[in-house]
Amino acid sequence: MSRDGNVLFCSVARSDCCSSLKILIKNSATVKTSWADDVEVEELEPPKVEDYVDENGIRITIEYTINDEGKKVKVWSCFKLSCVGGWLSIVAVYPKITRKIKRTLQKSLVDHAVAERKQWSKFGQEKENKPGPDRATTTVGEDVVLSLRAGGKPTADEEPSHEEKLRKQLTQTAGGGKVVCRLCKGSHFTAKCPYKDSLPILNEGGAETPPFQDDAPPNEGPSTSNAGGKYVPPSMRGGAGASRGPGESMRGGRDDLPTLRVTNISEDTQEQDLRDLFSYVGRVARVYVGRDRETGAGRGFAFVSFEDKATAQRAIDRMNGRGYDNLILNVGWSQPREQR
Amino acid sequence: MRPILLQGHERSLTQIKFNKEGDLLFSCSKDHVINVWFSHNGERLGTYDGHNGTVWTIDVDSQSRFLMSGSADNTLRLWSVQSGKCLYKWEFPTAVKSVAFNETDDQVVCITEQRMGFQGAIRVFNISRDGDGTRQASEPAHIFNPIGSKATVCAFSCVPNRVVTGHMSGKVAIFDYKTGEEVDNNERAHGDEVTDLQMSPDRTYFITSSKDKAARLHQTKDLKVLKTYTTETPLNSAALAFGKPYILLGGGQEAMSVTTTSLRQGKFETRFWHKIFEEEVGRVKGHFGPVNTIAVSPTGTCYASGGEDGFVRVHHFDETYFKAKPYGDLEVLD
Repeated sequence: MSRDGNVLFCSVARSDCCSSLKILIKNSATVKTSWADDVEVEELEPPKVEDYVDENGIRITIEYTINDEGKKVKVWSCFKLSCVGGWLSIVAVYPKITRKIKRTLQKSLVDHAVAERKQWSKFGQEKENKPGPDRATTTVGEDVVLSLRAGGKPTADEEPSHEEKLRKQLTQTAGGGKVVCRLCKGSHFTAKCPYKDSLPILNEGGAETPPFQDDAPPNEGPSTSNAGGKYVPPSMRGGAGASRGPGESMRGGRDDLPTLRVTNISEDTQEQDLRDLFSYVGRVARVYVGRDRETGAGRGFAFVSFEDKATAQRAIDRMNGRGYDNLILNVGWSQPREQR
Repeated sequence: MRPILLQGHERSLTQIKFNKEGDLLFSCSKDHVINVWFSHNGERLGTYDGHNGTVWTIDVDSQSRFLMSGSADNTLRLWSVQSGKCLYKWEFPTAVKSVAFNETDDQVVCITEQRMGFQGAIRVFNISRDGDGTRQASEPAHIFNPIGSKATVCAFSCVPNRVVTGHMSGKVAIFDYKTGEEVDNNERAHGDEVTDLQMSPDRTYFITSSKDKAARLHQTKDLKVLKTYTTETPLNSAALAFGKPYILLGGGQEAMSVTTTSLRQGKFETRFWHKIFEEEVGRVKGHFGPVNTIAVSPTGTCYASGGEDGFVRVHHFDETYFKAKPYGDLEVLD
């Protein structure tokens, strides 16, 4: 077997030993190659070849070639041979090491007419070409799987869609694989709840709702609303507009904390000053001081958020009308923007 | 399964056919060439050169002696399978869209397109098998013009003197070719163009595929729809798996919309459906474009698909295919 022939089959065998590829060769001497390989063969013509068939019917060819470094290399090739009407067909190739190849030949009983057709000489564009598959027109593709199973569309070898992947990921990470609707306690996401328009969100004592963070992005809706993996416009987040009007701004998210509007404060009042002042009453969640965009000086008002409503009410009672920095504070409930 | 890729065409495939023993595979494409391959190793035996336009259709006789081809160069040609020589040429005013041999190999039916003011016609030629086959009657034995929707595919029926046709409108009909009369029809067999029609071995039933995303199994006797296989993409080809109760469907979205949809969306897969339960049982992917034509070897051991991408992929079924019993231990007798 010529060297290039081995290489051809090596490449086949390396990927799959049980390949169904059957290659017919007229005799074991030549395999059709491209012109480039033909040249190589001549150069590397082995000086000495041992060739014998062992007791198992495996033909072993030992070639001695000179490698790139000028060293002598012993090359083994083993073939199992059998004949089909004077033809040899090779089915499986088992490479042991780089150049030791075992080829098992497949015997097949074919119709007389078929055997005769195999002897036909080539014609048309293939005229004069050597027998055997031409690598210019015939190649072996990647392995494909056909798994037959009942039950409609098989999805095993089909990559799941982006949505499915995201859903799977979410169900695995959130709540250890358990998805519980906050509305009806069903095993689906709250955003997918069939009762989301009719039922109010259940309060669970903050066990599952994340604690409020001062620096959290204000316009991010509840994470569950993104469960589908699709982009949801901010105006549609958080219950798909059920709790909010369609034209409402996205700053509504932070208004769930009881917030006081503090006016008539001096220009140089800082956040920390107000935090100190109001923390006498209770725990302050957030303080915002209105400032002039250019000068950075205070504009005389601020918003103070508390964690619960009772504390906020107490703060109004105690601070409204109280003097601070030689001004009299005006403290009241903050109104949502569109009502002002 | 490790498919053998055949790259003998430069343009999209139009039809592929196995011969009776399944050892030869014929393929034709829009690049004017017809190729013949050994199916077991993918070696190209030869090419049939001579057509001057898209070769729309081919058919080989049961002895693998003659090959018929119909082309957009308005000719129908008879070739010698062994030598690749053109034995005879018939010329028509319009392109030949479909050709088929009868069971005894002595007649062929062909459809010529309705175009440029010419009526679509169905012709039946007697093929002389004497001598080298170069002496053929130049005139058709029978000719008729089906009225109404254009015929796209045709085949001989199991009943003498009848041909089955599939039409542009989705109609499936039976014609008596001697009188040209429409014996029977099913106007609503499909909702859109019938793209392929393949007969069962005994020609008592056949499968059609259509652009309406469905394939249907029809009884030849009365055109009763036996089974319907509804998919989600337009279908270009449907084939019956021999020896196993499966249907092979190939399709994909239209060539013109390929670039605007993703590969995954395109569904360029060969789909295996269960013939009886009308359920999808498996898929084989590989093509980079819609699958235009599918053929199953009459031996039932391999199938080939030809795509818009210009490749033919020959798949030899592995053992798991023959052992698989997706619906448990039940046997389907053909």
